[in-house]
Amino acid sequence: MGDAGLRLGVAICAVLAAVALLLQVVRTRSFGTRPPMAEAQGSALRGILYAFGPGMAPSAKESTRTHPVVYALGVGYHLGIFTAFGVLVWSMRDAAAGSALPPAPVRQVALVLTALGMIGGISLLVRRARGPLLRAISIPDDYLANLLTTAFIALAGLRLLAGSLERALLVGAMLLLLYIPLGKIRHCLFFFPARWNLGRHYGRRGTFPLRH
Amino acid sequence: MADNETLDAKIEALTAEELARGLDIFRQKLGAAGALWLQTCVHCGLCAESCHYFLTDHEPQSIPAHKLEQVASAFRGRYTLVGRLAPALTGARPFDRDLVRAWVDAAFGRCSTCGRCSLNCTTGVNVPAVMRAARATLTEMGLIPADLQQVVTTALETGNNMAITREDWLDTVQWIEEETQGAVNDPAARIPVDKHGANILFTVNPREPKFFPLGMQASATVFYAAGEDWTVASEGWDLTNYGLFSGNNAEGGAIARNLLDSMDRLGCRTLVIGECGHGFASARWEAAEWLRERPGFRIISFLELMEDYFRQGRLKVDPSRLTDRVTLHDPCNTVRQGGISEPQRSILRRCVTDFVEMTPNRAENFCCGGGGGQLAMAQYRDRRLQAGGVKAEQIRATGARVVVAPCHNCIDQLMELNREYKLGVVIKTVAEIVADALVLPTITPPAGEDHDVTS
Ligand code: SF4
Ligand code: SF4
Repeated sequence: MGDAGLRLGVAICAVLAAVALLLQVVRTRSFGTRPPMAEAQGSALRGILYAFGPGMAPSAKESTRTHPVVYALGVGYHLGIFTAFGVLVWSMRDAAAGSALPPAPVRQVALVLTALGMIGGISLLVRRARGPLLRAISIPDDYLANLLTTAFIALAGLRLLAGSLERALLVGAMLLLLYIPLGKIRHCLFFFPARWNLGRHYGRRGTFPLRH
Repeated sequence: MADNETLDAKIEALTAEELARGLDIFRQKLGAAGALWLQTCVHCGLCAESCHYFLTDHEPQSIPAHKLEQVASAFRGRYTLVGRLAPALTGARPFDRDLVRAWVDAAFGRCSTCGRCSLNCTTGVNVPAVMRAARATLTEMGLIPADLQQVVTTALETGNNMAITREDWLDTVQWIEEETQGAVNDPAARIPVDKHGANILFTVNPREPKFFPLGMQASATVFYAAGEDWTVASEGWDLTNYGLFSGNNAEGGAIARNLLDSMDRLGCRTLVIGECGHGFASARWEAAEWLRERPGFRIISFLELMEDYFRQGRLKVDPSRLTDRVTLHDPCNTVRQGGISEPQRSILRRCVTDFVEMTPNRAENFCCGGGGGQLAMAQYRDRRLQAGGVKAEQIRATGARVVVAPCHNCIDQLMELNREYKLGVVIKTVAEIVADALVLPTITPPAGEDHDVTS
């Protein structure tokens, strides 16, 4: 398969992943939706804004206050993922339109971010594999999702570093995209309605925004 | 234990059809939000230390995500394509007897549905909502611990969860009225019963007339001092609702209906829920959902009402009467799930001289271990007391002599913790603190009557 074919393959996988994810989220509605009846005490909107805003700060939750390293690793991991997708999008541009790599300053920042992503991904994988408690709540999907994602970040980093490996990145992206709706990475979309519902629940009750 | 054995026998006897039906029931109970939450957990494990069960037993089964996973694995096995095609990869499991046992252990035995993990969840999973759906499923399958169901059944059959007869209730009210008259030195002090059109209909936890009449007397004293137009109902006076814990919305709704019917019958303006966390959450938040109707009147906590009295200058207190160090327990269903965190603090700051907060507090508080119906389930007693160890240490760290808990269920658990962990504290309701600090108006007895008049 030529480069153009691979790019088309990535685009198709992306569309498939997006459609599958959306269908899964929409399908949750078949479990029944009922508008809340009790009169609100606080504000659903304020709760939602808190859940996606200050409630995401590391200081907002005891779990992140007491685990700053894990929090930082998670942030680094996700920065790496977003960057790798940025590199992918850049690589997806028609090669005829110019360089398939971003300009040097952007490339350097992106390299740092992919390095952070790899450190985050690998550290979290090791933490999961070595910690008996974390192992006890893990399923194979947890490991595979991490491996695929970390490999994708690594391919993006290598592409930035070596300027080649475009095909490997495209193949890695296809695998990852196809896997996204199948396992835990679906939280990339599920996170938003799930957190929305939590914010609405505690916002209506006046619990969110939290008072410390 | 007997209840354990009965449950186990019931699980052993489950047929394949009953197991399949179990998941159908779960589907109905879960709702769209629940289905989202179940699929959003990333197994990061950051919720572990937010749970008092895990903090005290360090067992993986006590990690909130582990409890969630028991439920999620069955969900995946039935309701997701990948779960059906690749169960090993996704951790999907058939809803078999082993998994049913794990559900019972997770949902009833290791979760007080306190919600603390949800506030600490990385992604925003409402764990207690999912656990309640699991409880609801088990309850409908007949797999609820018998003693928990008995509390619900008693409330449905007798109108209150302790089977107090109408006669005993009215006798107790009259007796507490006389005690209140003595305490306030005013024979005109009343606990009105079935007063039509009263401003306030006050509801109580049956533990008060049964075991803690001083709590009811304190509430009556506050109403007296505030000059409130209030009443209790001769029927439909029990604010508790263990339907919240069994997960049975129909039964929860039927119990809540007792209170709404009392309001309709008496035409009162505001329904006031006495100091009880789950009673407040049930009446204020859940009843409307269970019954699918919004009550046409206000439902407030007694804490909010007492704070209003202070704001309006209707209560005068002398804080110097209680100089011991006082701390406050935040009942999960009043604070985190109920949204009432400040009135009790504002009240205590007026009524005592040395008020200290526990750490953490407010919505971040730890469950005392008695929530979620745990006090009713004898088979989990040891776990409950162990899990309460977190609260015991929180209390000890404050150096307080008095622990105020605006919830009668919490008070029961705190009293046990007090003994178990040798805390040496006194446990009181907020109303008791207010009543002790009240500066009552001087009553001049009518001529010819010989009363001890004090201020
Ligand atoms: S709701 Fe409370 S008891 Fe249940 S798992 Fe979460 S923290 Fe633990
Ligand atoms: S914090 Fe939330 S996402 Fe992480 S393991 Fe616990 S329930 Fe799952």
